[in-house]
Amino acid sequence: MAETNQEEILELIWTIEEEKNGKVEKDLLVKRTDVPSIEDVLNILTKEGYIKIIDSRVELTKKGRADAQLIIRRHRLAERLLNDVLAVNEETMDSSACKFEHFLDEEVTASICTLLGHPVSCPHGKAIPPGDCCEKASKEIVPFVMPLTDLRAGDKAKVSYIVTKYHERLDRLSSMGLLPGVQIRLHQRQPTYVIQMGETQIAIDDAIARDIYVRLT
Amino acid sequence: MSKMETNVYKIALVGNPNVGKSVIFGLLTGKYVTVSNYPGTTVEVSKGVCRGLDGGVEVIDTPGVNSLIPLSEDERVTRDMLLEDYDKHVVQVVDAKNLNRGLLITTQLAEMGLRVVLVLNMWDELLDRGMNIDIGMLQEMLNLQIVKTIATHRVGVSSLYSSIPAAKVPNLYIDYGNLIEDGILRIQKILPDNMAVNKRALAIMLLSGDTSLEENLQDKLSKDSFENIQRIRDGIQAHFSNPLSYVINIKRANFVNTLVKRVAVTNIKEGKTHPFIRNVFFYFLVPLASFFMGYKLMTLLTYLISFGLPPGNMLNFIVPLAVGVITSLGFSLYLYLREYKAKSTIADILGRITMHPVAAFPILVIILWIIYKLVGGFGAGTCVDFFENKIFGRSLVPSGGFDIYIYIPFIQKEYIFTHLNFQGFNYYLGFLAQKLISKDNIIFELFLNEQSGLIQVGLTYAIAIVFPIVGFFFLAFGIMEDSGYLPRLAVMVDKVFKRIGLNGKAILPMVLGLGCDTMATMTTRILNTRKERIIATLLLALAIPCSAQLGVISSVLGRVPGMYFALYVFVICTQLLFVGYLSSKVLPGVSSDFLMEIPPFRMPKLSNIFIKTFYRVQWFLKEAVPLFMLGTLALFVATKLGVLAFVERMGSPLIKNFLGLPVETTRGFILGFLRRDYGAVSIFKALEETGGSSGIDPKQLLVSLVVITLFIPCLANFFVMIKEQGLKNAFLMFAFILPYSILIGGILRIILQRF
Repeated sequence: MAETNQEEILELIWTIEEEKNGKVEKDLLVKRTDVPSIEDVLNILTKEGYIKIIDSRVELTKKGRADAQLIIRRHRLAERLLNDVLAVNEETMDSSACKFEHFLDEEVTASICTLLGHPVSCPHGKAIPPGDCCEKASKEIVPFVMPLTDLRAGDKAKVSYIVTKYHERLDRLSSMGLLPGVQIRLHQRQPTYVIQMGETQIAIDDAIARDIYVRLT
Repeated sequence: MSKMETNVYKIALVGNPNVGKSVIFGLLTGKYVTVSNYPGTTVEVSKGVCRGLDGGVEVIDTPGVNSLIPLSEDERVTRDMLLEDYDKHVVQVVDAKNLNRGLLITTQLAEMGLRVVLVLNMWDELLDRGMNIDIGMLQEMLNLQIVKTIATHRVGVSSLYSSIPAAKVPNLYIDYGNLIEDGILRIQKILPDNMAVNKRALAIMLLSGDTSLEENLQDKLSKDSFENIQRIRDGIQAHFSNPLSYVINIKRANFVNTLVKRVAVTNIKEGKTHPFIRNVFFYFLVPLASFFMGYKLMTLLTYLISFGLPPGNMLNFIVPLAVGVITSLGFSLYLYLREYKAKSTIADILGRITMHPVAAFPILVIILWIIYKLVGGFGAGTCVDFFENKIFGRSLVPSGGFDIYIYIPFIQKEYIFTHLNFQGFNYYLGFLAQKLISKDNIIFELFLNEQSGLIQVGLTYAIAIVFPIVGFFFLAFGIMEDSGYLPRLAVMVDKVFKRIGLNGKAILPMVLGLGCDTMATMTTRILNTRKERIIATLLLALAIPCSAQLGVISSVLGRVPGMYFALYVFVICTQLLFVGYLSSKVLPGVSSDFLMEIPPFRMPKLSNIFIKTFYRVQWFLKEAVPLFMLGTLALFVATKLGVLAFVERMGSPLIKNFLGLPVETTRGFILGFLRRDYGAVSIFKALEETGGSSGIDPKQLLVSLVVITLFIPCLANFFVMIKEQGLKNAFLMFAFILPYSILIGGILRIILQRF
């Protein structure tokens, strides 16, 4: 199934499902897409067994879900790549990622995932579905980008990104100057994490340390 | 920019936490505000008049902020002050070695359109670190007056004076990118014209989702305008993955970083301690101190579990000695291997070792022990004894005078100069009074009565008992604060405090509470959320005994086996954790993250500590003495009217049957309403009397001391609770604590009876 439009729709269903906790109204789906002749696309998807339409609701079948998951994974990995490594600004990141998801093949996806250190969430904070490579990596190698909690005391690292559900946490860290690109040194891990950032020493708890992703330098 | 008329402006001191604003405030005004090496010391605005400028310009000191979009109460105080509508010259104090973080605030001040003088403080520490800043270039780039100072040594103050009148709006402009800039413009159009600061700054704050600012604007904007702003914000947010505030902060940080790269020279060098001192430290001081630590810990342990070796047994002597030697060897070797080659300064090493996951805990115990010796032993014992019995004395009984002597420590001899035949103020006062009126006269009783006289009890108590204890405590607290030990303590307790709905930051009010709960309750403001403030206030009122109370309690517990002391500490700590845990589950709201700056370990400046202690004690006397007097008066009236006897009768079944204490102690608990420590003394005396020749029953003593410790807070503390948390919450806490403390006492009694 290589149709770009079909992939777009599957992706959108997944996204809405995530936002609305599983319920995907067809009207909403139609409203949020700019794919032309949406009805036709939905018909094809139904016929080929990717989705089911029950009343006004759209549901992914098992086959559809597997495909959607891969698309979502490619899209969000692409976002990470553009955001963290290539430092593309946010506006272009979104549009480029949409193109990436359609032409990345399995192997390239896996190597991007490895390069990024098997990230668990996209820059928007949404979950990236794990692939085979992630599972393998969690047993074998030290990832490239890792949460602060994986550093050993004395390690020097650069902050790659901060992923958190809490708005205030982000504000607090950033107003202290702890932002992507900042060079830090992990001073100690117990009883709480203490990091050295320039001439400032900051103590942070577990929860915050888990949200800060760094790369060893 | 129109030229100001002379001196119609005010000076506002603004800056990151712990950069020395309060020191500079002191230099400008000659007025003292509490200064410490702990972020968040200033929780409210203090005002003074600047001496060095003509006409007396008002100076305002503010709590430290990291951003002008407030994330806590004290940060909001600062921001709101800046939004007030009068001309101000902002003196922004920056820690010179943390220029980045300072300039983040400067950009926001520039956006507000405020006139600024930039003070780069702690210039000496900057140079020590091998760093430098090209002031000339920075000055030119920002078009701003920049002054370098070493405030604690009064360096650079005169140039600060001369540059304040010439404060200018910093030449800084950050372009936030088309999307956000467009939003800023649209919000600016909605905002009314008569604002105290530039509308651009307000628009940026609103885009960042600053809810406290919306509250401030409530009466200036219509509901529609707010909805409009909300729509604009949502519209722009949709284009960004990260929250807008974060996007804005990143743009700001990038801007500042490029700026700093051009002016700052960094060439970090470490370790400057003289080799001789280093060697003395590693080969002599560390082994000695750690030997002492091991030895003391062991004796403390044997005392607490009181496994009774007969006195005189050699083991009593050998065991602690052996533990001391082992600790000394182990600790010194560890430190030597770890730090000797690392060329760091001794202050750095101390800074690290005091938050070391293992070593920090024995160090903590020893520090507590030293404080206890200083406050409980010397302050509450020797000094109180001297003041209470010798200087003040009793109205009807002469004290017998005292000797002036020198104690020579090693040969343990006292050399007596002379005997001073002074019988105590109260005695002379009573003597004089008896010339005029009989000692049964109500006036005499009002002032000099042994149980509730305003002078004999109220004043004597406040000054002779509380003053030395509190004074020594504040001295010890000041040293912990200024050396930078307290924030490290916060690091250590964070995990435990998380369990009780607080985080490490709450150690400051908790430790301060061991000095004075009233003062500590006010300091709960440094905590980030309402829930945390309520929990901290409750725990302070319930389970943290203040220094006066601790002094009495520890001297009383000194008369019974050490095991009871251990049990007392155990019960109180368990209650602290248990109630904290419960309230963290029951109370609505959230706890906040633990994110705290750790200031460098510094050698405390003695003069600062003494001044600080002096002002704290002064504050304490001003607050507490009137309350003691009021309390004593209430007690006097209650005794005379028979209310006391009535309550005693009402309460006595509970005391007698449930707590298993003699009826005579009831009075002590009622006194506990006024002062908890006051109650402790009274209970002790009652137990001593009923115990008769067989002495005090230690179980009874333990139960009563636990109850009186957990018992409702003193009057002063209660007033502050009402002020900080509102009438309703204060009464709810009161209503919880009163029965709860008695309940725990009862349970403890039942458990003790089984053994």
